[in-house]
Amino acid sequence: MSYLSIKNLSNSVAGFSLENICLDIEKGEYFVLLGQSGSGKTRLLEAIAGLDSSSGSIHYKEDEISEKNPEHRDIGFVYQDFALFPNLNVEENIVFSGRYREIEDAQEHFKDIVDFLELKDLLDRCIKDLSGGEKQRVALARALYSKPKILLLDEPLSAIDPTFRNAIMKKLKEIHRRYDLTTIHVTHNFREASYLADKIAVIMNGKIEQIGSPDEVLNHPKTIEIAKFLGFKNIFPASLINDKNKSKYFSVDPNVIRIVKEQNVCCDYIFEGVVEECMGITDHFKLFVKVDENHFFIKIPKREYENCLSNSKHSIRIGFDEKDVSYI
Amino acid sequence: MKLTYKNNSFNIALIVLAVIIVFFLSVPILKMFVGVGSDKLIDTIKDGEVISSILLTMKVSLWAMIFVIFTGLPLAYLIARYDFFGKSFLEAIIDIPIMIPHTAAGIALLSTFGDTGLGGFFKIFGIEFVGTEYGIMIAMMFLSAPFLINAAKDGFRKVDPKLEKVARTLGASPFRVFFAISIPNARKDIVNGALMMWSRGLGEFGAVIILVYHPMTTPVLIFDRFSSYGLSYSAPVAAVIIGFSALVFLIIRFIANRFD
Repeated sequence: MSYLSIKNLSNSVAGFSLENICLDIEKGEYFVLLGQSGSGKTRLLEAIAGLDSSSGSIHYKEDEISEKNPEHRDIGFVYQDFALFPNLNVEENIVFSGRYREIEDAQEHFKDIVDFLELKDLLDRCIKDLSGGEKQRVALARALYSKPKILLLDEPLSAIDPTFRNAIMKKLKEIHRRYDLTTIHVTHNFREASYLADKIAVIMNGKIEQIGSPDEVLNHPKTIEIAKFLGFKNIFPASLINDKNKSKYFSVDPNVIRIVKEQNVCCDYIFEGVVEECMGITDHFKLFVKVDENHFFIKIPKREYENCLSNSKHSIRIGFDEKDVSYI
Repeated sequence: MKLTYKNNSFNIALIVLAVIIVFFLSVPILKMFVGVGSDKLIDTIKDGEVISSILLTMKVSLWAMIFVIFTGLPLAYLIARYDFFGKSFLEAIIDIPIMIPHTAAGIALLSTFGDTGLGGFFKIFGIEFVGTEYGIMIAMMFLSAPFLINAAKDGFRKVDPKLEKVARTLGASPFRVFFAISIPNARKDIVNGALMMWSRGLGEFGAVIILVYHPMTTPVLIFDRFSSYGLSYSAPVAAVIIGFSALVFLIIRFIANRFD
């Protein structure tokens, strides 16, 4: 059995349901739960932590923990907005769990966390005086101080200034290894997922739609809905390229579609279409080409073309190679 | 963001209307002190019956407040946090005492806790409501508890439930979360509500006089002196209770703000 095994977890509150969620997460795994807003990500984390009542079973190291109260589950939780206690200062927030649990080597552990997350100068501060990044570090420190075995992170980067996100993602990976954690990280950002995850699950409307390695999920989505959510463009019926395999759809990256200038064949697939619109964006043009009833979206670097091809409708040939096709 | 003051006709209209209501609210209070004169005030402060009546009123109102802190805060929390069948009805029941005439409330209390089965039941435990401090307390509590319960309910609603959830994952049981997170983060509203309840209890007259004439609370004493001896004997008592109440109110407010 896996380190954390979730079987048929379901709950229903206020018209929204989690339906038969099954997840197997290995020890030390950084597991990313990817889904749009309202897909049930936070609800699932709360159910795992025991904060939301649900049916089904959760096994941790072969022990059934579904019936345990949240305070006995050994799970740390960091919310999107950090949920720091306003009535306590930074230090009191971090050591909060020490009031109710015996923390082994508490002083050394506290010092280690404070040094690692660079919180020494903030310890006496009130919560309302902290920036978003500082709040996040305090929330992480508070969860880590309780020495959880499983860390649940609910969109931890969404309230952070984009300039600091990369540094914080790096820090999250370090935390995961340094404190020997098994992490479940919820996000709607697939770039975040691709950097952090050992394994990814895509959740949609309260159901897990796909689970796999980052390469598997992010490059080979199982359904057209997942592909759209992951930002795939140019999704068309496979019959368009005479596909012999069983996939119903394919997708091709707008950056790899080329404009065929000469008569000679340059690509595996070539189509003739009509330019519908051409938009100049900083360093590239966005070209919208209609091929039969399908609308291709193409990005061409400005260095290759001086002007947009045309704003008036005229025919062009576009092409791409088989190796650039993703089947769905 | 506050608007910058501009001397236009709208603002002038606001100020004129505000001054009218401030006049009606403040002048009678000031008149109590200015009109009575310092000699009479000092004599009244030295009057043992007045002082013991003021202390009795403050003490019993404090009891009522403490009782509602213990029983009303859990009720306020339940209403703030959970949806359940009959919740709106329960909220309406809590608000009823604010709306009904106080003498009617006194009659209702006398009919319930006077010479009745329920009154007899409490007598077994040595608690009698007619002509005792328990009677004063129940009258004050009945009419002023909504101020504390409603304020605490608003306070608990402002506490993000996620704070309580995180505290659970950090090892705190629901009881400990309530005392370590919910109450401290709602304390401003709870303190305001408690002060409102306590001060409202001090002024309770209509219900108290029906249940308990003796021992006399200050409002009953003022009424007694007014009806027996006239305005000049009752006004100094009124001035003294206003002064005492304001003093205690300011001290508690000062302490609460220091801890905020």
